[in-house]
Amino acid sequence: MTAPAVLTVFAVALALLGPALLSRTSWLERSPRIGIAAWQALSVSLVSAVVLAGLSLAVPAIPWTTDLAEFIRTCAMTIVAQYSTPGGAIVSATGAAAALAILARVVYCVVSDRTLAARTRKAQLDALALIARPHLRYDALVVEHPAAAAYCLPGRARQVVLTSAALSALDHSQLLAVLAHERAHLRGRHDLILAAADALQHAFPRVAAFRIARTELGRLVEMLADDNAVRHSDRTTVATALVRLAEHGVTPVAALGAGGESALNRVRRLISPVRPLGTGRTAVAALAMGVLVALPLFFAIAPASAAGAMAPCPAGEQSLAM
Amino acid sequence: MVRPLGTLEQLVMDRIWSWARPVAVREVLEDLQRERTLAYTTVMTVMDNLRRKGMLTREKDGRAYLYGAAQTREQHTAAFMGEVLAGGADTAVTLLHFLEHIPPEEVASLRLALDDHLQGRKSTAP
Repeated sequence: MTAPAVLTVFAVALALLGPALLSRTSWLERSPRIGIAAWQALSVSLVSAVVLAGLSLAVPAIPWTTDLAEFIRTCAMTIVAQYSTPGGAIVSATGAAAALAILARVVYCVVSDRTLAARTRKAQLDALALIARPHLRYDALVVEHPAAAAYCLPGRARQVVLTSAALSALDHSQLLAVLAHERAHLRGRHDLILAAADALQHAFPRVAAFRIARTELGRLVEMLADDNAVRHSDRTTVATALVRLAEHGVTPVAALGAGGESALNRVRRLISPVRPLGTGRTAVAALAMGVLVALPLFFAIAPASAAGAMAPCPAGEQSLAM
Repeated sequence: MVRPLGTLEQLVMDRIWSWARPVAVREVLEDLQRERTLAYTTVMTVMDNLRRKGMLTREKDGRAYLYGAAQTREQHTAAFMGEVLAGGADTAVTLLHFLEHIPPEEVASLRLALDDHLQGRKSTAP
């Protein structure tokens, strides 16, 4: 019974402490790619800890031995023992049901989000076909609109959309910076990173960790795209394009404060660049993420291997052999 | 490059928007036929699809129907972009904006940060 308990404690600790720890780390903004991987590792680890907790309730710890025949026999014995007591059967059934329900919920949310996204994308393309015209010099669609805005439509028909106000607010080099930023989103399929985070947030709206992960991933993909734009343009050009778009964008009344805060972070990051992580720290971060993802599986398996090391099967129960 | 999506719809809407008056299918057909060969039923189907999408309205005029734009091009564009920029729940799952909404006072702080930097660069330049 230790595995489910350890996994549950691990999941709760990760959900409560993980986001705070990651949010405080300055490493993530220095190398957004690592930051993105870190939040993804946290999410994967959290989901798998909960699912494995359920599964390890359903399947009791089976002493692990290298002898296959012996292993199958002990399997059968342990499982029969577990299910022969009414309490054990109920616990197992509950664990299995919980694990399946969580997996099903995640899959359902991913599928329904993707369906909605595909439908919206089609509607957007249809609408754009009527009102937008392709720009003669840039690979982008232009819509006549008084608010400066730039966005991209990911998927098969990768499209960058600019408003006429954005075209007049930016000069040639600033426009190239904006286009490089948007193409980085499209090429890197940043929409899929956010879609996965969205699906988890929709699946478990009460888990703050997934909500924070979604917000942070949103920030980090923008920084990653900024870093890509900087490869083609000067840092100040990217920052200037960002500020000019903000100045010429008409803000709706019910504006969310979060946008401003993350934009200010982006501008600061562009004008006073931080050094990206070196190889050493990148390796440490990658190792830490690997451990984070592997820990739930370790917790699920460890009690079984410990049991295998300790107690061989009692000899008198040959009758149970299959 | 840009995918030619719904080009016939686009051509029809372009005409109806620029004429800015209710027209019969035949008028649209005759104008389109100056560029390419089209069947009456093709144009009628396209216009009826546009009506079902809420782009066109129609009224009975004697034995034929007259079609008009439900909104002007400007109204339609404004409504579409308003929705896109407001970032409603359904566009949030697809679009990646260059910038999220920024309240005016925070725009000022963006400008301040940038100007400080530009000023600093100028004064340290030889």
